[in-house]
Amino acid sequence: MADPANDFIRDYQALAQQSWDAWTRQFQQPPAANPFAPPPAPAAGNDMLERTLAGLKGYFDWMQAAASGGAAQPATDWRQQLQQMFGGASQPFAQAFGGIDTAGAEGFARQWQSWLQAAQRGGFGELSGLQGPTPAFGLNREQQMQQQALATALLESMRASARYQELIQRANAQGMQRLQARLAEPGRQVDSLKGLYDLWVDASEEAYAGIALSDEFRDAYGEMVNTQMRVRQLQQQQTEQMCQQLGVPTRSEVSSLGERLQALRREFRANLADGSADHAGEIMALRRELAALKRRLADRPAVPAVKKRAAAKPGVAVKKAPAKAARKPTSPSKSGSGQRKRK
Amino acid sequence: MQTPLRIDPTRALADIATFQRKLAAGMANLRNMREPEYANTPRELVYSEDKLKVWHFTGHGKATSKTPLLIVYALVNTVWMTDLQADRSMVRNLLEQGEDVYLIDWGYPDGADRWLTLDDYINGYLDRCVDVVRKRHGLDAINLLGICQGGAFSLCYTALHPDKVKNLITMVTPVDFHTPDNMLSHWCRRMDVDLFVDTMGNIPAGLMNYVYLTLKPLRLNQQKYIGMVDILDNPTELENFLRMERWIFDSPDQAGEAFRQFIKDFYQGNKLVKGTLDIGGQSVDLGMITQPVLNIFAEQDHLVPPDASRALGKHVGTTDYTQLAFKGGHIGIYVSGRAQREVPPAIHQWLRQRD
Repeated sequence: MADPANDFIRDYQALAQQSWDAWTRQFQQPPAANPFAPPPAPAAGNDMLERTLAGLKGYFDWMQAAASGGAAQPATDWRQQLQQMFGGASQPFAQAFGGIDTAGAEGFARQWQSWLQAAQRGGFGELSGLQGPTPAFGLNREQQMQQQALATALLESMRASARYQELIQRANAQGMQRLQARLAEPGRQVDSLKGLYDLWVDASEEAYAGIALSDEFRDAYGEMVNTQMRVRQLQQQQTEQMCQQLGVPTRSEVSSLGERLQALRREFRANLADGSADHAGEIMALRRELAALKRRLADRPAVPAVKKRAAAKPGVAVKKAPAKAARKPTSPSKSGSGQRKRK
Repeated sequence: MQTPLRIDPTRALADIATFQRKLAAGMANLRNMREPEYANTPRELVYSEDKLKVWHFTGHGKATSKTPLLIVYALVNTVWMTDLQADRSMVRNLLEQGEDVYLIDWGYPDGADRWLTLDDYINGYLDRCVDVVRKRHGLDAINLLGICQGGAFSLCYTALHPDKVKNLITMVTPVDFHTPDNMLSHWCRRMDVDLFVDTMGNIPAGLMNYVYLTLKPLRLNQQKYIGMVDILDNPTELENFLRMERWIFDSPDQAGEAFRQFIKDFYQGNKLVKGTLDIGGQSVDLGMITQPVLNIFAEQDHLVPPDASRALGKHVGTTDYTQLAFKGGHIGIYVSGRAQREVPPAIHQWLRQRD
C-alpha cells in the first residue's frame, strides 16, 4: 500500500540530490595526465571550494539519510534510531574518520598505482617479489633484488596502513558509544539534525583524541609513516637509475650540490666573522695602547726636551736638526710648503 | 525512558531545504569572491637575505617605546597571521600602543634551502636580523617576541646571545614537548625522521597541513564548513572566513635539515628542557636567560598544549618571569576580538615597565 508521506520524502530527497549533483558538477576537473603527478589537484581557483564541498556533501547526505531513515521513523527505541542515522554501513558518516584520514593514504596509493603502471610501461616488467623474496642471478641481479625489496616494502606498508585503519575504525565505534552515553544523560534532548550532528562531532572527536594519544596509535602511526617512506625511497632509487641511463640529472646529484654549497656558505660566513673579529680585536688593542700612551704623556711633567737630552747625555751635540737640514738642502722650487703657502 | 531524540521529520526536511537554499544563494558570493588580502599594514623593507625579509612597520605616529620589538614567527605557516586583517592585526595594535615593530618573514624555502640547519636559522639568519635592528637603533639589545616555533627559536637565541636581547616575550611557545596531551609530539615519537627527511627532502606544506587537519579531523574538515553555510550571505564574514582559509593553506615547505633537527631534538628528544640541546656546537641552557620574560599561552591550544608552554617558568634563569594565560586557541590568540583587546595592551604594558 502506498504511503503518501514516505513517497513525498523520497521524492523530495531525489529532487534535492539532483540539485546538489547539478551544481557540484560545475566544479569537477579533468583527471591528471601525468602518471607521476601527485593526487589530482583541483582546477586553479577552486581548491578551497573543492575542500568545502567535500565536507558539505557528507553533511548533506547524512541529513537526507537521517531524515528518512531515523527521524522519520516512530521513536520506539532511540538507540536503534540512532544506529540507523549514524551506524549503517551505507551511512555517509559510518567511516567518518576513515574517510578523512585515508585521504593521505589514498594519495599515496594513487601515486603508487601510477608509478607501477609507468614503471611497467618503462620496461621494468612485472613487479617481482610480491610472493616473497627469491634468489636472483645474472646480469639483472641487482635490479631483481631492488624489485623484490620494493615489493616487500609495499606489503609492509599495506600491513601498517591496515593496522592504522583498524584504530581509526575503533575511534568511529567509540564515537558512537560516546554519543549514546551523552544522549542517555538525564534531561538531554535533541530536536534538530544540526544539534544531533554537533553532538556527534563532539563525541567522535573525544573518542578519536583518546585513541590518537594511546601508545598503540603512536606505534601504528610511526610504522605507517616509516613503511611509506621506505616504499618512496625505493621508488626514488629506481627512478634515479632510469634517469642516470637517460642522462637526466637526478635529485641526489642536485641535493649533493646543495649540501656542498650550503657548507661553503657557512664556511665563508665563519671566515668573514673570524676576519672581522680579528680586525676588531687588533683595532681594540691598538686603541688601548694609544690611550695608554696618551695617559703616560699626560702624566709626565712639562720639561723642555732640549734640557732633558742635554742633561741625560752630556757632550752630545745639542742642535741635531740643523745639521740634518744642512746635509739635505731643500730646493725652493720643490718645496711643497712653499707652494701651499703661495696658494 | 523518554527518548532524547525529538527530531520532527517535517522540521528535518525544512532544515535540509534551508541548508540547500543558503548554499545555493551563497554560492554566487563564494564564486565571485576574490582572494582576500591581508591587512598589509604599511611597512618598509630593512633587510633581506636569501628568501628572508625583515619588515619595519611604519605606523601612523612615532613609536613611544625606546626599544624596538622584533617578531620571530614560526617556519610553519606564514607570518601574516600577525597582520591578518585591519581589525584583527596584532602588529597594528602593537603600533597603536606605541611599539616600534619589526617582523622576520622567513619566506618560502625551496630545494636550495634543503640544507639549512637550525644553526643557520638561529645563529645565522636570526642573529643577523637582530644585528640589523640593533644597528638601526644604535642599541646593544632589543626586545624579542617569539611565536610558536619562533618562540622556541627565540629562547635558544636568547640563551646563546644574551647580550643582544633586552626583554623576551614568548607566545604559544612549546618548551616541554613531552606533556601527555601533546598529540603532534606523540605521533612523531616513533617516526624514523632520518628516513623521512632523506626521502622527502624538504617537507611539503601540504603534508604539514594534512597532519594539522588530522588533529581534529571532523571539526577541521567538515564542521567548520557547515558553519560557513550560515555566513555565505554575509560578504564581510565570508571574506574573513576565506582570508583565514588562505592563511591556513598558503604555507611554506619546511627546509629538510632544520625539520630533521627540530623533530629529533625538540619533539622526540625534548632536549630544550633536558638541557642537552646543542645548536651549532653550542649548548643551549635556558638558565642563561636572565632578562625579563613574558610567557603568553592559550588555554584551549590544541597544537601547543598550555602545559608545554607553562614549563618555561621552571627552566629560565630570570627572576622577572611573567605568565599570561589567554582564554582562546592557538589562532584565536592573534585574531579573536578578545585577543585584540587583551594581548597587545598586555605586551605593551609589560614592556613599558621594563623599557
